[in-house]
Amino acid sequence: MKLPQPDKSSLKPTLVISLVVASLVLTTMWFREGDRGPVHRLQNAMQAMAAPAEVTGEFVTRPIRGVVRWAEDLGVSRSELETLRAQNTKLRERVAGLEEARLENARLRALAGFVQQGQVKPLLARVIGRPENSWEGVVTIDKGTADGVRASMPVVAAGGLLGQTTRVTGHTAKVRLISDQGSGVASIIQSSRAEGVVRGSIQGALNLDFVNRDATVKPGDVVITSGLGGVYPKGLLVGEVTKVANTPAGLYQSISVAPSADLKGLEEVLVLTGATPAQLQVGSGE
Amino acid sequence: MHRVLPTIGAVLVAVVLQAGLAPYLAIGGVVPNFMLLVVVTLAFVEGPQAGAMCGFGAGLLFDLLGSGPVGPMTLVLTLTGYVTGLLQENMFAEGWLLPLTVLALASLGAEVAYGLILMLLGVGEPMIGTFFTKMLPGAVYDSVLALLVYPWLARFLRRERAMTTFKRLA
Repeated sequence: MKLPQPDKSSLKPTLVISLVVASLVLTTMWFREGDRGPVHRLQNAMQAMAAPAEVTGEFVTRPIRGVVRWAEDLGVSRSELETLRAQNTKLRERVAGLEEARLENARLRALAGFVQQGQVKPLLARVIGRPENSWEGVVTIDKGTADGVRASMPVVAAGGLLGQTTRVTGHTAKVRLISDQGSGVASIIQSSRAEGVVRGSIQGALNLDFVNRDATVKPGDVVITSGLGGVYPKGLLVGEVTKVANTPAGLYQSISVAPSADLKGLEEVLVLTGATPAQLQVGSGE
Repeated sequence: MHRVLPTIGAVLVAVVLQAGLAPYLAIGGVVPNFMLLVVVTLAFVEGPQAGAMCGFGAGLLFDLLGSGPVGPMTLVLTLTGYVTGLLQENMFAEGWLLPLTVLALASLGAEVAYGLILMLLGVGEPMIGTFFTKMLPGAVYDSVLALLVYPWLARFLRRERAMTTFKRLA
């Protein structure tokens, strides 16, 4: 038996050609126009209209995600548990040391008459949407211009830096994660002060690029934001170096970084509002 | 297009599912593409012209939903809808093999074309790196989902012909 055949006489190549041309025109317009152009505004309107669906999806799937996470945690082996316990002990020691350093820092700043110029106002936001396709590392939060959120504001999660806001509507905002392929964060290695740029990738892996070959970098080194570029304030925790490789012909070191923040299981985040990003300066760690 | 309202309804439902459900069905960072399923199914039951038109609308909505450039998925789904309709008309296979083959080819073609366009626009990564991590898994995922929803979607989009299973399609 054969399939029912559509009427071939109705085929109009001009139609598909017109649609292809329209697609190309749209793409060109998107790149050429500014953020206030018609296509961008249409995209913002769509983002606002999709928010209820995203909120519903987040709410409905929450119990299932909880069960999945619980099941994943059951798979933690005894050896992993021991490793985590040892790591926990080490971290507690480090926190104690850092607390001492923080108190000392506060005393020294008070003595030097330090005035913090940036007025950082952390704004708590809930993640209501996750990447809608395989090609983007972008999440949606439930705060927008009505709450004081603007584009290019840093966003942090419990563990560290998360990303920055991109498209903002009245009550929602898109946050480009540091793991997105279009993301770049000016960073430094905390111990050696070697500068570089943490870049995301389509696979979601982080790499620290443009670090000179003569800089000392080793696995376990902490990576923080350098404050260069005017978007991210200095001193935010980005991640930890996991792998360092040098090729004979390479100009820079090839450094892999594990993000400090949990970029996948996001629930709540903080948007650093209250001042222009370039003005924001938190503890430098220097 | 013979059945405009069901098509619009199917596309709108796909948009809602893409925004609300697809992110939570992601496996290893690969998110299913519900818009592609609707376009391929419609092209399969209605032919290239309807497929191209549906592809344009669904692709545009997909692009508007994301935060990347508007236009690449519009172009890809327009061509996917058109080519799928042509494949359906010109391939000679019987039983469930034809829709399965066309769905798999359309999924892979759409994923590869989208990645290629993003790369050409300077917002994607080299093809070699993404083929095995995004395109191929995405095509397989979409094909598996298509196998599950195709008979029901095809029946909804063209109710005058009974299409409850692949076997009855042939």
